[in-house]
Amino acid sequence: MAKCTIDGKEVEFTPGENLIKVAKRAGVDIPVFCYHPGLTVVAQCRMCYVEVEKMPKLQTACSTNAAEGMVVKTTSEAVKKGREGTMEFLLLNHPLDCPICDKAGECDLQDNSFGSGSAYMRHSEERRTYVDVDMGDVIQKNMNRCIHCTRCIRFGDEIAGIHEMVAIKRGNNIDITTIDGKQLQTEYAGNYSDICPTGSLTLKDFRFKKRAWMLKKTDTVCEGCSKGCNMEIQHEGNAIYRCVPRENLEINKYWMCDEGRFNYHYTQDPARILNPVQKVGAAWSKITWDQGLSALKSETNAVNTLFLLGTDLTLEEMSAIRETVTRNHKNAKLLSFGTHGVETSAQDKSQDQILKMKSKTSNLMGAEKLGIEALQGKAKADVVVVFRGGRAQLPAIESKKTIGVGVFLEKEVTSFDVILPGLAFTEKDGTVINHQGKEQRLKRAVLPREKCKAIPEVLMLLLNQKTREVLA
Amino acid sequence: MLAQRKPGFWNRIYLVEVIRGLSITMKNFLFHKKVTLQFPEQRRDYSTKFRGQHYIKSVNGVENCTACMLCPTVCPAECIHIVAGEREDKEKYPVKFEIDSLRCCFCGMCEEACPKDAIKLSNIYEMSQQNRTVYEKDFLLEQRGNK
Repeated sequence: MAKCTIDGKEVEFTPGENLIKVAKRAGVDIPVFCYHPGLTVVAQCRMCYVEVEKMPKLQTACSTNAAEGMVVKTTSEAVKKGREGTMEFLLLNHPLDCPICDKAGECDLQDNSFGSGSAYMRHSEERRTYVDVDMGDVIQKNMNRCIHCTRCIRFGDEIAGIHEMVAIKRGNNIDITTIDGKQLQTEYAGNYSDICPTGSLTLKDFRFKKRAWMLKKTDTVCEGCSKGCNMEIQHEGNAIYRCVPRENLEINKYWMCDEGRFNYHYTQDPARILNPVQKVGAAWSKITWDQGLSALKSETNAVNTLFLLGTDLTLEEMSAIRETVTRNHKNAKLLSFGTHGVETSAQDKSQDQILKMKSKTSNLMGAEKLGIEALQGKAKADVVVVFRGGRAQLPAIESKKTIGVGVFLEKEVTSFDVILPGLAFTEKDGTVINHQGKEQRLKRAVLPREKCKAIPEVLMLLLNQKTREVLA
Repeated sequence: MLAQRKPGFWNRIYLVEVIRGLSITMKNFLFHKKVTLQFPEQRRDYSTKFRGQHYIKSVNGVENCTACMLCPTVCPAECIHIVAGEREDKEKYPVKFEIDSLRCCFCGMCEEACPKDAIKLSNIYEMSQQNRTVYEKDFLLEQRGNK
């Protein structure tokens, strides 16, 4: 294999790899702004300067491919001076409003300025200022902070498939904006904020909520659709503040759609049912878990019972439900429900050729693998029990009594009689299978709220009267 | 084993020691400068670096604070609670700024961390209170003991 030397270390590389990737493998981090592994290389920011032996000038590492016998220095005096000069240029117009900027703490400009920049500045002239256009519901723009890396322009072109961000004017007056100042159209707008190396494009949803360094991070999987994008839940004090994508080159690469990014909001919806409740007339009244479980137990002994299982549950929950039903309710039927019109994984196609899938639940494949048939049309039985993880679309139900176990919002369950609250995907561990058949783990980020219980726990209490008495 | 010594006559009556002790007391009482103050009327001068009750500096009625959250981050007692918001004349400002005065250990790290010269510790040291007191934003903005 071909070899080159970076900072005295010999590294192997495959032809065509650029120096940033090769250096990363040698344990050398090269500061970058415009380079992003998921986007094309433009070598605009001039931050990744390295010195290559036998080349007269400094080279940008992102646009220089490694070659056999190349000797690269990343910490020489010339490189340091070059990077310091670049940093000084980039900071000429930067407002240094880190105290009010949401990017502070995870900002490339801060990191690289600290790592490669000078502590002093010679610039004393007035900085340029802009009036910002409204970028829609997702992104808040602040052009003053921009360093024109054009990552956002390339992301729109290459990943989101829509050319909506452009650079107009030139030189000091350059303006990165949308065409004709329109609002953003793409359903992947949240990524603009992730890839922006400064605080130019930030999330409106996260605006001033928390500082980046205060958040705890839990690696989990998005439950928005059957794609199973890897994501990170950022939370503090049992409340979730935002979700960001994690790198997984086999599934979502570096990206994530807005639907999945903001999906967590329903788990913190004030209308979510957090206590066992029973319908009295038109209103809900709180009951104890014991009363709720007794109702569930006595109703499901009826002859004609249908158990419905949302395909947004984890494999563990599904198999626990299947075990319970096959053992204790021999006459009852167990069917799955998920997205209207997408009953099997064969019908589950890509929705927009980017990330989104047609199935809006995470574990359709898992339900199929467990051999649970899908519900066709209306759910018709004397008693219907609905197990749901929070995202599966409820089917039309025709029954004398309907009992829900899981996550429900008040407005969704007007026809239900009893609700036993369960855990949302942010509150439980489990396994889901995505549309490619890849098993992935959900991890608990926040603790269950109020009186919510996990479905396996509910089933255990249902079967075991004694345990219920002890826990009550 | 320790040999036990019986105290002699002069030791047993203690008179000499009592007189010697009292003479020191009287010497201090009559001839030395007093160390106490008549508190409310007389006050001790403290250094300008003294770390007392907090206040948020404001200029022309607008608070310096931009709710950057550096003070709650650096606070070892975790006694500062800020909620940030946006208003017409200021991009980011603290909607809520609370200091739990009982948790505060007056280390002054918040003052040191503040990039906007907003939170400061004044010279005020009379902070006795009968119940747990949380300094609210309005109270902190009164410029009490402005340095």
